[in-house]
Amino acid sequence: MHKFFSNRRLVFIVVVLVLAFGLMGGSVALRKRRATPPLIQQFGNDVVGIANDIVAVPVNAVHNGLASFSDLLNTYSENRKLKQQVSDLAQVKVRDETLAHENKQLKKELKVNHTMTDYSTINAAVITRSPSSWQKQIIINKGQTSGVKKDMPVMSAGGLVGRVVEVNQTNSKVELLSDTSESANRFAIQLDGEGGKTINGIITGYDSETNELVMGQVTSKAKVKKGTKVTTSGLGGITPKGLYVGKVSRIGKDDYGLAQKIYIKPAADFNDVNIVTVPELNS
Amino acid sequence: MYRLSRLRFLFPIGLFVALFLDGSLSKVWASLFFSYPYNMVSHLVLLWLVLAYFFEGNIKIPLTWFAVAVGVICDLYYSGVWGLFIVLYPLIVWLTKTLARYFSDTFLNMILIFFVDLVVFELLNYWAYYVIGITHASLGDFLVDTLAPTLALNLVYFVLLYWPIQSMFTKALAERQHN
Repeated sequence: MHKFFSNRRLVFIVVVLVLAFGLMGGSVALRKRRATPPLIQQFGNDVVGIANDIVAVPVNAVHNGLASFSDLLNTYSENRKLKQQVSDLAQVKVRDETLAHENKQLKKELKVNHTMTDYSTINAAVITRSPSSWQKQIIINKGQTSGVKKDMPVMSAGGLVGRVVEVNQTNSKVELLSDTSESANRFAIQLDGEGGKTINGIITGYDSETNELVMGQVTSKAKVKKGTKVTTSGLGGITPKGLYVGKVSRIGKDDYGLAQKIYIKPAADFNDVNIVTVPELNS
Repeated sequence: MYRLSRLRFLFPIGLFVALFLDGSLSKVWASLFFSYPYNMVSHLVLLWLVLAYFFEGNIKIPLTWFAVAVGVICDLYYSGVWGLFIVLYPLIVWLTKTLARYFSDTFLNMILIFFVDLVVFELLNYWAYYVIGITHASLGDFLVDTLAPTLALNLVYFVLLYWPIQSMFTKALAERQHN
């Protein structure tokens, strides 16, 4: 044991520790500030992303095959349920189109060009997920070349799932809403309280015990009903307005008993994300 | 002589398959691995490195350098935060070598060493991310929600993959001696 901490080894260990923490701290800071990672990192990630397909494509194919087999077993009962919804949906769709058309005409009348609800979408497939318990990240197969930019929101089948945190040329990293780190996922959201009052707020955290998003520091005193739909509010200027987040599951008080704390059951399953949509504001 | 053995193909290919399988399995079985509130971290890379050390025989694979390489890829591709895995993987290789000196090469001893490796790896990973502010989980939560499930998963990996990997290595080594 005396020899274990010999001078040279001690110096070596200290240097490695300092370097490692310097790099970690530096890259975290760099990541928050810059729109894209350094070129060398981009290049490396693009190459690795392509190599990843060699393993990811067969694994995903097997998984999709098994999933479609189990889907097949549920098809009959699902089909009966869905048929009822389809007839409703056609009506909703037509109405939606009419309203969108009317909205466009009215905007023209008022000479408003683009608002926070005008967005186009980029579709991407999920390649892989970070094998980590601290960073809930997925990697998608679209990057700068397809128009993905840092901080864009990411939607899955059900609703909002996360935000783009790093963009390479051909792939990008998405931080899921279930990530609990301090810098993660502050989406501006809104919901309708009783009496038609709009309650604005931000997602302040994620409760992993119950799988609920937390909307904290809600100063509005308006009453909120369970089951109210929550959408993004478009405040902040990067995320379009009206992306579905989830439904209110319960309402509590914050630690000091002053403000409301609204718990939201997310619409998307963060553990079952295969295809994502990245909405991009038209400007 | 690593350069002349068939391990020079088998080992790197296995390492990179393990690396990408870690990610792919985390994605495909996400609802199993990350069911609230538990988190299982797939460590096939670690398993491959440790078993390679035990099965390499008299061929010395440059494990530390491969560990550095795989650490760089993990840092850049999976986490996006530099400087953690590039240190952790070589550290675990060193730890395995050190521990292996004191134990004979039996299955139970190997699984014990792998167990210690996993605990050290996860603990340092948690500590580093705690220090730079990526996580704020308490130590208790870490032990119950992450470490315990991760150990369970990876020890299952170990038991399932021990014999297949062993036979792969024996085959690769045996054919070298025939030539």
